[in-house]
Amino acid sequence: MSSILKLQSFIVRGVANNGFNKVILYLRQTSITPICSRSLHLNVDRNNAKCSDASSKAYPIVDHTYDAVVVGAGGAGLRAAFGLVAEGFKTAVITKLFPTRSHTVAAQGGINAALGNMEEDQWQWHMYDTVKGSDWLGDQDAIHYMTREAPKAVIELENTGMPFSRTTEGKIYQRAFGGQSLKFGKGGQAHRCCCVADRTGHSLLHTLYGQSLKYDCHYFVEYFALDLIMEDGECRGVIALCLEDGTIHRFRSKNTILATGGYGRAFFSCTSAHTCTGDGTAMVARAGLPSQDLEFVQFHPTGIYGAGCLITEGCRGEGGYLINSQGERFMERYAPVAKDLASRDVVSRSMTIEIREGRGCGPEKDHVFLQLHHLPAEQLHQRLPGISETAMIFAGVDVTREPIPVLPTVHYNMGGVPTNYKGQVLTNCNDEDVVVPGLYACGEAASCSVHGANRLGANSLLDLVVFGRACALTIAAENKPGEAIGSIKANAGEESVANLDWCRYAAGSIPTADLRLQMQKTMQSHAAVFRTEDVLREGIDKMKKLYESLQNLKVSDHSLIWNSDLVETLELQNLMLNAMMTIVGAENRKESRGAHAREDYKNRCDEYDYSKPIKGQQKKDIKDHWRKHTLADIDPKTGKVSIRYRGVIDDTLDSQECKTVPPAIRSY
Amino acid sequence: MISSKILNVTRQLRSKPGILQSFSRLSSSDMIDPPEDPVFTIPRPISREGEDLEQRKARLIYQSRKRGMLENDLLLSTFVAKYLHTFTPTQVDLYDKLINGPSNDWDIFYWASEVKEIPEEYNTEIMKLLKLHCKNLNKESRIRQPDL
Repeated sequence: MSSILKLQSFIVRGVANNGFNKVILYLRQTSITPICSRSLHLNVDRNNAKCSDASSKAYPIVDHTYDAVVVGAGGAGLRAAFGLVAEGFKTAVITKLFPTRSHTVAAQGGINAALGNMEEDQWQWHMYDTVKGSDWLGDQDAIHYMTREAPKAVIELENTGMPFSRTTEGKIYQRAFGGQSLKFGKGGQAHRCCCVADRTGHSLLHTLYGQSLKYDCHYFVEYFALDLIMEDGECRGVIALCLEDGTIHRFRSKNTILATGGYGRAFFSCTSAHTCTGDGTAMVARAGLPSQDLEFVQFHPTGIYGAGCLITEGCRGEGGYLINSQGERFMERYAPVAKDLASRDVVSRSMTIEIREGRGCGPEKDHVFLQLHHLPAEQLHQRLPGISETAMIFAGVDVTREPIPVLPTVHYNMGGVPTNYKGQVLTNCNDEDVVVPGLYACGEAASCSVHGANRLGANSLLDLVVFGRACALTIAAENKPGEAIGSIKANAGEESVANLDWCRYAAGSIPTADLRLQMQKTMQSHAAVFRTEDVLREGIDKMKKLYESLQNLKVSDHSLIWNSDLVETLELQNLMLNAMMTIVGAENRKESRGAHAREDYKNRCDEYDYSKPIKGQQKKDIKDHWRKHTLADIDPKTGKVSIRYRGVIDDTLDSQECKTVPPAIRSY
Repeated sequence: MISSKILNVTRQLRSKPGILQSFSRLSSSDMIDPPEDPVFTIPRPISREGEDLEQRKARLIYQSRKRGMLENDLLLSTFVAKYLHTFTPTQVDLYDKLINGPSNDWDIFYWASEVKEIPEEYNTEIMKLLKLHCKNLNKESRIRQPDL
């Protein structure tokens, strides 16, 4: 019915009003009758943007000007915003969710920092652990920066009012977390993780949101960011949709920070919230900029099938075991000694092989069972609190009688928008890193890259805080409040509005939820933990067809007022871009490194074979090894992905402070 | 007095093996957790005067599906799909206050699953219904959000 082509032109009218520049974009259309009968009078901070022609075919546009705009109000976005307003920058935060509803709230763990409150600790040891965890795909300048700044960043949070749990002497309590060691892996377990009871994520959001409001930070809550506004290779702001009244807002800004989080929802089973749809990476892709290392996706072996709620590994520690459709305790075959207590990778892979070989459970034979009911009920309740409730609430399973359906579940996206350690977004020209002026990224949306091929527990909250802070520091160092901003075209954002309008009236045959589910199941079967050439190629073919099906979407709700269907359609477009780049990147990378495990290329492929002495070996050219970042570009129209590479940064910021951690075989 | 209240809550939480698995993992004799109540308050989502019932319900559907944590995404989206159309304006108001009042979404989950004591202001007929929904007596599979 309606199509982008039918949106022939826009009439742009600018009216100055109270310092804001109000522009109303009318869509001149022939066949579209927008159901926009509600008054679009705007309120509060937008009171100068009244649209007099309430029942017209208009998409009223409100223009704003800021020194900095932050997209996303999770830990990273709020930390950046707090830093900016504290330095006097006029800052807007655009978020599709009320800040304390960002996915950061789900982080119950904590923040790593080598404060040394429990035993002697050094950030250089934390750095060593992080580089090793990254399987030497992490950029060591960024890891140097993150681990060195970690104690400062945590103390700043404490001074800002974050109520950390304490030791009896009043210091910040630090607990042990996997992957953290002392003395470069030789000194045993480190206690490095700072927490606020079990609500660290919420406390972080609460503190930063509250403190940023003490300054004049403008929050645009429940606004959905559509696209970046790019002019002459520079980012000059963002265009967003107000979900409450359907108005379009253009934020012209000297600096734009993407802090939009990960894209776990590209997979069928993931632990992330339903809002983790990779909106930032997708906006960057539509701006013609690459994403980095998206093939690195961290999985947890036992999430509840589809729901994604984690069933702790403690279940298997207590004697729970995995069974296939024949009731066989299959881990005995894959790991005769460790059985169900084998490492996460081995368990995830074994589960997937069982499913692939037709021994999966359920009507679609697409999961396995975790059996606990042979354990005494008393033990289940005492030792595994919460599991019974979670299994009943979401899977309708009584764990004292029935097994829980489980599946390897996406937990974290290591890849994202490539940035340097200052948070500046990078692109690559002739093998050189080039900064994209005015654009920054931080948090799970970014790949700076401190996590490399795998992320360590409690390093993600640290990443948010350190690089959210770094974005603010970089902007403050290179800009002054109130500086002139490059102009934007009168019709900037026209394509975004056209796409929005297209989605709103999409009248094909596939409902958004159906296409999303097909995509999620395809990614789950073809791009999860079991990766081979055949599986991935087949997956890419399926994903190409699904990508084409985006043209055939059907959206039932045409309104512009709290239209969840419309928002989820825009999110699906974003997820598809992320998913395509992920699966193509996974097929392309012919090695196993960190979270990316190829059955057909089982070894890590570096410039030297680090399992042997380097002496006498010829260093491989970057073309011939895989210790390099993937940069994926995608054509949003066709979904075609092309791949380039970027070298890993091994040099630290200062070799006097800490030396490069030389690559080695990773073993724990 | 405040500290004894905190102690009580903490004791109650720790003695009741509930969904706070990480809490019990964290608990340690030499670790002192901060009080439950935040040190300062932050503004709550704006109240929306003059919103008609249809628009309000559309907003509540959006806000129930977009919670920041998947447990509540699933719990609240299935809840509104089942009940919101039956709610009277008063009930809609109670639900609105419940999902937009508390600062920490985990609290809503712990109240609904009866791990934490429900504060007076949220202990309403809607909470009663949500607790029942949470018990999942019909053993429904809630692994996806309902279609819109």
